[in-house]
Amino acid sequence: MHELQIAQNIITIVNDELLKSENKNNVDTVYFIAGRMRAIIPETLQFSFDVQKKSHKQLKNSKLSIKEINIAIKCKDCEHQQTISEPVFHCNKCLSTNIEIINGNELYVDSIELNE
Amino acid sequence: MKIQIVRDVLEANDQLADSIRGEAKKLGFTLINIMSSPGSGKTSLLESVIPELKKKGIRLAVIEGDITTTADAERIAILDIPVAQINTEPFGGDCHLGAEVIIPALQKFDLANLDLVFIENVGNLVCPAEFDTGADYNFVVISTTEGEDKPLKYPLMFRVCDTAIINKIDLLPYLDIDINKLKKNISQINPKINLMSCSAKTGENIPGIAQFIFNLVK
Repeated sequence: MHELQIAQNIITIVNDELLKSENKNNVDTVYFIAGRMRAIIPETLQFSFDVQKKSHKQLKNSKLSIKEINIAIKCKDCEHQQTISEPVFHCNKCLSTNIEIINGNELYVDSIELNE
Repeated sequence: MKIQIVRDVLEANDQLADSIRGEAKKLGFTLINIMSSPGSGKTSLLESVIPELKKKGIRLAVIEGDITTTADAERIAILDIPVAQINTEPFGGDCHLGAEVIIPALQKFDLANLDLVFIENVGNLVCPAEFDTGADYNFVVISTTEGEDKPLKYPLMFRVCDTAIINKIDLLPYLDIDINKLKKNISQINPKINLMSCSAKTGENIPGIAQFIFNLVK
């Protein structure tokens, strides 16, 4: 369900940037980055975006491209870096739990491609 | 033509949340956001912990975020403390509380004369984890009836919380759940989380939880 609001926020940000750039061209693609920590279901986000874009002139024919980022952690004790596919947040080299998440928390509009 | 943007989709919410934390610091109250699945016992926990906190002299209030009904707000109001019910549309209730609804709810209170405000979030282990409410501390309540695997299925929730409270331990003799496995799964997701267990129904460990919360108050 949070995809609905995230889609709405994507549209707000894109409209805001279009207004700032004073560009009147239509948007071809919105490039969105979602880290896997954020539990975004791409199909649901896509659907929410497609429903809401229709009432926005420069966005109504646009596509949403969603790039998912794997979760990567870095051990603060031994500096070892690894990507994880299961929710096990410890270093697999030295087993320390003193880790930081370096990738996977992303949730941002990266760029937009405009029609010429 | 490509336009580079790089803007976080939750930036507007995060800015509001930071402003709430700034206000709480200035006025000297602590804000605790309580999240869980529906039925884990958020309201029951508040019902049992609030009288203990009142005995310790803590002046508190509760923001209720339940969808459409005021049932929870009515349960808390009996404890004779201020309650602000967040209004959601009938049948169109949201799945989480964003910072934008916390601000008007807080404005209903005499904040200068409060030490602690609880937010009882909407029962849901996914969406509330995404949206910063502006709370100083995030708690997750998980009950013994939910199974050991829930932390693994909802890792973001257990990562964003400082404290996890396992509720309904009075039911352990009747359930197949292995509580040590549940604790291990929580710690695996967030090794730094404060982990406590209680029964809001029987009152077991409630004084300890009240003391823990008391120590968090500014």
